[in-house]
Amino acid sequence: MHNYIAVVFDNTSKAYEGLHALWQLDDAAEVTVHGTAVVHRDAMGNFQVDTKETHPALATAAGVGVGALLGLLAGPAGAAVGAAGGAAIGAAAGGAVGVTADLVRADTREQAAGETRFVLGAGQSAVIADVSEDWTSPIDTRMRSLGGTVYRRAKGDMEDDVWFDDYYIPSRYLYPYEYIPSSYYYPW
Amino acid sequence: MGKMDTNVKDALDHIRAATQELHGAMSDAAAKRGGVAKADLEVLAQKAKAATESAKGSLSTQQEAAKKHLADAVTHLEATQKHVTESLKSSGQAFQTSVQKALADARASAQKVSEAVAAKRSAASTKAK
Repeated sequence: MHNYIAVVFDNTSKAYEGLHALWQLDDAAEVTVHGTAVVHRDAMGNFQVDTKETHPALATAAGVGVGALLGLLAGPAGAAVGAAGGAAIGAAAGGAVGVTADLVRADTREQAAGETRFVLGAGQSAVIADVSEDWTSPIDTRMRSLGGTVYRRAKGDMEDDVWFDDYYIPSRYLYPYEYIPSSYYYPW
Repeated sequence: MGKMDTNVKDALDHIRAATQELHGAMSDAAAKRGGVAKADLEVLAQKAKAATESAKGSLSTQQEAAKKHLADAVTHLEATQKHVTESLKSSGQAFQTSVQKALADARASAQKVSEAVAAKRSAASTKAK
């Protein structure tokens, strides 16, 4: 099964622990991870996605792409905002906060926040991942042990939802390896 | 469940690691504050060429489930090489465009190899049940 998952954690360090655990499951051949990103929602309700420090245009594109993915993960209602909803997600280079408010009207931002609230509450962080898994228990069990809640949608269902074609692949903005910004300490 | 068999690192796993490393090096280069240096691009061109040759060489040994994905990966790796080569000969906006296309194709190649690995693991798991 080719699925997209969002694993929600109560804080950032737990999210990175979850990210590491996910790639460990890949290394053990329990699942195959095609790409991952870590997204945060601050107390004010703003979203950020961790990216490498990069050209602002690329960072913005990553924010839009991962945001669109979050919208699709939220289900048919979330997918309705599609790529526009993705513009609500800011790209945070190296952990610094940034919001791409220039790209979207305030009402669209609020709509996107509403659509994805069930995925990511204020103050929480989430690991977003594109995975192939023959059974769901390895990820569910491991993430539950770390305090994470797993939301999952089949790639096929997401493709059915919206204007989703071969050209538009939100997962291209996910890192195809374990990327952890140097600003995050991880003790494992 | 066949876990022991699927956990053995083989040629496909090494190709996957090579494409992941290529994307990592390319995104690190693109992230440099002063922009991508030509010297970085020459190294990236070599990495892309090595990964392409490795993937091409492994195609005939793959099971059908993985072969299609790996063939797609080869296409993207060749495109990566092409864009990196173009970037070495260009400047300004054309240079930036080539670098961004190279990065997108490097990402796509990593995705396709990863999907080939998933197909291989799934086939091995089914056989072991």
